Amino acid sequence: MSRFSENFLNQIYQEKVFLSLSSVLGFLCVWYLVTDLLQLMPPIILPSPEKVFFNIYEKISIPVGEEKLFGHIGVSLVRILVGVGIALSLAIPLGVLMGWYENLDALASPIIELLRPIPPIAWIPLAILWFGIGLGSKVFIITIGVFFPILINTYLGVKFVEPLLIKAAQTLGAKDKNILWEVVVPASVPLIVAGVRIGVGLGMMCLVAAELVAASSGLGYLIMLGGDDLKPELSIMGMILIGVLGLIADRIILGIERRVIYWKKE
Amino acid sequence: MEENRQKDKLVAENVSVFYEKDKKNFLAVDDMSLAIQEGEFVVIVGPSGCGKTTFMNTLAGLVRPAKGKIFMDGEEITGPSAERGVVFQQFALFPWKTVFENIEFGLKYRGTPREQREEIVRKYIQMVKLEGFEKSFPHELSGGMKQRVAIARVYANHPQVLLMDEPFGALDAQTRTIMQEDLTEMFMTEKRTVVFITHSVEEAIYLGDRVVVMTARPGKIKKIIRITAEDLVPDRRQLGYDDVVNLKEFRDLKGEIWGLIKAEILEKHIL
Repeated sequence: MSRFSENFLNQIYQEKVFLSLSSVLGFLCVWYLVTDLLQLMPPIILPSPEKVFFNIYEKISIPVGEEKLFGHIGVSLVRILVGVGIALSLAIPLGVLMGWYENLDALASPIIELLRPIPPIAWIPLAILWFGIGLGSKVFIITIGVFFPILINTYLGVKFVEPLLIKAAQTLGAKDKNILWEVVVPASVPLIVAGVRIGVGLGMMCLVAAELVAASSGLGYLIMLGGDDLKPELSIMGMILIGVLGLIADRIILGIERRVIYWKKE
Repeated sequence: MEENRQKDKLVAENVSVFYEKDKKNFLAVDDMSLAIQEGEFVVIVGPSGCGKTTFMNTLAGLVRPAKGKIFMDGEEITGPSAERGVVFQQFALFPWKTVFENIEFGLKYRGTPREQREEIVRKYIQMVKLEGFEKSFPHELSGGMKQRVAIARVYANHPQVLLMDEPFGALDAQTRTIMQEDLTEMFMTEKRTVVFITHSVEEAIYLGDRVVVMTARPGKIKKIIRITAEDLVPDRRQLGYDDVVNLKEFRDLKGEIWGLIKAEILEKHIL
């Protein structure tokens, strides 16, 4: 690429960054305008941005309930990570086997088709009944939320592997077992990773939902507490942090995606 | 016919195959019998949709015939095997494997030890002129290079029979000519039994010991032309492609074969 076009692309990129930054700043300005400056919204309905950010700063050192701010973030992180971990280790093997063995597919499909449309939060009462109000019930809800998108994507990935690749492997002497691990699974990786991305997004929703009900820690708990104690700055803080957490998680998965599907055409 | 089974490398006996498309069954191949000798290069040509590919997939063991049987060295074929390697028109390379790993694929299942595999892969990379691309991935290669990898992958696996399904069909004309010359050279240095499918009459005459002309669907054998045995195009394998196509013998033969195919197309209105 020539020096000139490199500069040109750089310029476009800088313009984009500028636009993105100005939209964030604009959003904060409007927020500031309707709260502090024009006082269109009383602080009890919508606190000003500086009040929210000061609140975040303050809660780093002053505990809310059982934990300080990073304690709450940590608790939520553990819940989501354990939930995602369990869902991954169940959904990927099951999806691969269901996609490959038609008998297992016929056996498992009706149950899965029946359970899949049930929103994960509908499990909350049972989860509390079975696992109490500790880590177990939250992890259970998150696992259910993450499990199905990964399962379905893995299953479809295996089911719709390019038949030509399987034929090529067969005529090169690979047996069924080799074909499953050497051809079918690698070929399904892009769809599996896409499933993980959808699953983790859903998992974040499940995390908040599970923490809104019966929790004494975590970001969802802070959001709930803000409503109960009429401290909307607490709720907004929790929402912002969930947003940031979700964004970071998505970026990490995107990075992994680029790494594992290096062989896909751009 | 019984004795052919023993004597010839690959024998198709009264093979009929159905082809499923849009939930309907078509008779793709109708009662085809063909005996291919060891070390022979047989090219099958015919109008498009005549069942050439289906017939070749049946030889590979990827498709079961509805009627008739296929034998290799006198033994009935019941499924795909490493002894019948296939080069597909769409390359069918494993996109997540490098050129080296693609060519190595079959050798792993043959139980070839690692050092020997490396040696074999290097040899065929050299044969298809892809030195320096060992670590490239298929998406980084041109169509012609991809097909070279696919050919090397099959050659390296040392099948007794090579089945090639329009391997140069997806390539541009210049690449195609070079690939045809290189394939001839490879065939001369390492004689294999080859069944080659094409719809290019020129390619068929240039490459084949025998050219099998098929009818339009359902595919049957219309005529078999014995190019090498009857020395129809002299010195064909010593000359480059461009020189061969200008020989009078070549042009006459091309006219004859094209006439057979054209008659099929016009007669059965498949245009």
